[in-house]
Amino acid sequence: MWEQITVNESRKNHVMTDSHPNALCFGDELPAGGSPCLVHVEAQGITIAFTVGGKQQQAEAVPFSSVTVSAGGLDHDQLVLQWMGPTGQRTLYLKNPDVIRTFRQAAPDQLTMPLERVAGQVRHVRRRHRMVWSIVGGSLLALVLGLWFGSDLLVELAADRIPIEWEQKLGESAYRDFLAQHESVNDGPTVNAITEMTQRLARHAPNNPYTFEVTVVKSDVVNAFALPGGYIVVFTGLMKKATSAEEVAGVLAHELNHVLQRHGLERIVKQLGFVAVVSIVLGNSPGLGGVMKQLGVELMTLKFGRAQETEADLTGLQLLHRAKIDPNGMITFFERLAEKDGSRVEWLSTHPMSSARADRLKAQLAEIPKQDPEPFTFEWTKIQASLG
Amino acid sequence: MKSEILYPGAFPMVRVELAEGEHIKAESGAMVACSPTIDIESKMEGGFLGALSRKFLTGEKFFFQTLRASRGPGEALLAPTVPGEIVVLELDGVNEYMVQKDGFLAGADGITIDSQMQSMTRGLLGGEGFFILKMSGKGMLVLNSFGAIHKIELKPNQEYIVDNSHLVAWSTTTTYNIEKATSGWVASFTSGEGFVCRFRGPGIVYIQSRNPRGFGAWVRQFIPISE
Repeated sequence: MWEQITVNESRKNHVMTDSHPNALCFGDELPAGGSPCLVHVEAQGITIAFTVGGKQQQAEAVPFSSVTVSAGGLDHDQLVLQWMGPTGQRTLYLKNPDVIRTFRQAAPDQLTMPLERVAGQVRHVRRRHRMVWSIVGGSLLALVLGLWFGSDLLVELAADRIPIEWEQKLGESAYRDFLAQHESVNDGPTVNAITEMTQRLARHAPNNPYTFEVTVVKSDVVNAFALPGGYIVVFTGLMKKATSAEEVAGVLAHELNHVLQRHGLERIVKQLGFVAVVSIVLGNSPGLGGVMKQLGVELMTLKFGRAQETEADLTGLQLLHRAKIDPNGMITFFERLAEKDGSRVEWLSTHPMSSARADRLKAQLAEIPKQDPEPFTFEWTKIQASLG
Repeated sequence: MKSEILYPGAFPMVRVELAEGEHIKAESGAMVACSPTIDIESKMEGGFLGALSRKFLTGEKFFFQTLRASRGPGEALLAPTVPGEIVVLELDGVNEYMVQKDGFLAGADGITIDSQMQSMTRGLLGGEGFFILKMSGKGMLVLNSFGAIHKIELKPNQEYIVDNSHLVAWSTTTTYNIEKATSGWVASFTSGEGFVCRFRGPGIVYIQSRNPRGFGAWVRQFIPISE
C-alpha cells in the first residue's frame, strides 16, 4: 500500500523508534525468507542496517545512482529496490508507507521517472482489479436478475426437452416411497369416486400425454398433492372436510394441472439450473457460497411456487368447466379451508389462500359462460359416511 | 513465550509455555491440555463483524480461543485436527504470510489476523476462495499441514510450480500466477493437476505433502451409502 498516506499506527512506530526493522533484504548469502533490516533514507542514498542477534550491525550505504526500482510483492504493492552489492545482487522489499514516501521525496531526478512508472504500474494493477471485480459483480447481478425475470421461459424450454418417460420415472420413485410409508385405501366407494372424478377430468384435458394414478391415503391431515408424471395422492382428511364432490374435484383439477403444466419438472430444472450457476460462480466453498446457494434456491422456489399456483388455479377452473363440473365448489372449498379451526390443513402451507387468489378465481369464473353441470354417478354423503 | 514441538511427524503437538499475563490465540478446538493457571476464553477476533466475515468469507472458524496465563505461569498443549506436521514461524513485524484457511493453528497475541480479498483469477481458480488469511505483526505463528510440511525457499525471480491444493502459507514478497498444468485444457485436467500456481521469489512457500481434497475423495469411495 505504498501510495497510501494513511498509516497503520503500529507501523508508524517502527519508523519513529528507529530500532525495529522496516524492510526485508534478499541476497545470495541472506536467508531465503529475507533478512529484516532497518532502512534510512539519506540525502545521497539509503543506509541499511541488519540486526543480528539483537545487535545492530554496521550500516551499509547504497547511493541512489546504483539503485533500480520496481513494484513487487503478492499484491504488487511493495517498492522493490535492486542494486549490485559487494557480495552480489541485493533486493530490498519496502512496504512501510513512510519509508516509501521519504524515498520518493529524496530520490534524485534520474529516479523520478522510474518511480513514476512504478507508481503507474501499481495504479494500473489496482484499476484492473477494481475493473475485473466490477465487471464480474455487474455480470453476476445481471445473471441473477436475468434468472429471476427470464428464467420461466428458459426453464419451460428446458423442461419441454425432457421426455415424459423420465418425468414418470422420477415421479414414480417418489410416489412409491411415499406410499410405502403410509396406509392407503385400496378399494371401496371412496376409491371409485376419486377414480371417476380423475378420469372425467383427465378425459377433458387437452393433449394429455399422462395416465393419471390416484391413491387415497388414510390420514386426518387435510392435504392432496401431485408428483411429476401424473401421480396424485389425496388424504382422507381432505375428503372428510369437503361437503360436496365438486369441492374435491376442484382440488383434483388444481393438482392435475400441476402435472399437465409440468410444474414439478420445471421446479426441478430451475433448482438444478440455479444450483449449477451458483456453483460455477462461487465454487464449492463451505462459507459464503453455501449460504448463498441455499438462500437463492429457497427464494427461487418461493417465487416460482406462487406463479405456478396461480396457473394451476386458472387452468384448473377451465378444466372443471370443460368437464362440466360446477367450479364454484373449488372456490368455496379453498375459502373454507382458509378458515382456521384447529385441524391440520397442510394443503394451505403450500397453497396459501389469500383474498387476492379467491378474487382472481371469481373474476375468471365470471368470464366463463354459464352451463348446467352434470352430476357424478355417486352420492357424496354416502362416500363421506364410508370414511367413518 | 516459548514453544516446543512434541512428537514431530504425523501426530505432533505443540507445547507453549506462557509467563504470567501472556496469552496466545489458537484455532477453536486446538487445546489438548493445559495447566490450571491458564484460562480459556472464546474470542471473536476482530469483533463480531470481523468474525462474521471470517466465517462466511474464508470458511475459517467464527471463534478463536484465547489461552491466558492469568493466575501464574503455565503451559498449554495444542494440536490440529488432521494428521500432519506443525511448524513454528517467528514474525518480526516486517515479514508477512498468507495462510490458507486450514493452516492456522495458533499465534502469539502480537500477530494480527486479517481476511484479505484476492484477485479474481486467484480467487476463482486458486481453490482457496476469494478471501484468505493474512498474518502480520510480531511474534510466534504456529501453522499446521495435512501430511508433512515442506519449505521452498525462493531467491529473487526464482520460480517454482505448486499444485494449488498443497499450499499452506507463503510470504507476501512472493507473487504467483494461476495457470493450467499443461498447455492444453483437456490434458490439464486429465493429468490430475488442473490448475497450478507458478510462484516467483523472493520469499518462502510452505507446502503440505498431502492434498486434503484428494484424501477426502479417496475416503469417500469406502463409505457405504445409506438409503
